[in-house]
Amino acid sequence: MSASTIEASTLPATEEWTGIEVHTEPDTPWVLLVWNDPVNLMSYVSYVFRSYFGYSEAKAQQLMMQVHQEGKSAVASGTKEKMEAHATAMHGFGLWATVSHDGANEGSNG
Amino acid sequence: MARAFKASRKGLTCQLEPAERELLRNLFADVITLLEPETPAHADPLAALIGLDMDVSEPTDPALKRLLPNVVNDDDAAALEFRQLTERSLRETKIGALRAAALSLESDKIVLTGDAPQHWAMALNDVRLVLSERLGIRTEEDSERVHALHDWSQADDVDSYLGLVYNFVTWLQEGLMQVMIDQLPDVADESWLV
Repeated sequence: MSASTIEASTLPATEEWTGIEVHTEPDTPWVLLVWNDPVNLMSYVSYVFRSYFGYSEAKAQQLMMQVHQEGKSAVASGTKEKMEAHATAMHGFGLWATVSHDGANEGSNG
Repeated sequence: MARAFKASRKGLTCQLEPAERELLRNLFADVITLLEPETPAHADPLAALIGLDMDVSEPTDPALKRLLPNVVNDDDAAALEFRQLTERSLRETKIGALRAAALSLESDKIVLTGDAPQHWAMALNDVRLVLSERLGIRTEEDSERVHALHDWSQADDVDSYLGLVYNFVTWLQEGLMQVMIDQLPDVADESWLV
């Protein structure tokens, strides 16, 4: 049955429909931070960045070295939900990752 | 004496002595035991289906907390809420990798294909995280102190024995990672976008 066969009178009064409130937050990036620890192998961290995020070898290496030398690195940014999903994936790999809103927790960087 | 992982036509292969396989089997089993939830799956079938667990709390065992860390710093309420939604399935992911790795220890020659190398990498990594907590490895210096242990004849206490076990698992994982990295496809820099 196509929509056109429905009598207009059977449809709800559209003028009372208030619509769904859409909360758009285009300019509020969240970041995924990966933290250094003395256990995870540099080769493993680099492998995870390449295989999970699809980063190039150079990009993965750069992020891995930043984690190692500066204690942490923001390895991805985007919506809260997406960063949380990434964090769970990182925890699955055994990497120590947190999500952070717009640079919070980044004060000690450098 | 174990020989490190190498790539072959059949997959990633590795030769381990029976005692080494037994050691790994025990280590995988120990971490599985650590990760098994203390409470049974939620009685509410919908909650069980989506992995929701309202009874969960931040682990008190530092080794378990290292396996199941908080997702945010400095916000215990938000961390707990996320834990309720995700911890059970995270435990299952880890247990799945450890079980898969343990299963491939059943044959004399270890041959890893498909997802098995990744399961092994994750399993070995989780074993090392747990051992590192037991060994008190908190800094690079601690790591180097343990790394300096290499003589099994000097394993006269629990810590030096655990340290040698840690080094063996590290050696195995490092060899595996080299082979797995060799097999990753080359990616152009443009595909950084996530």
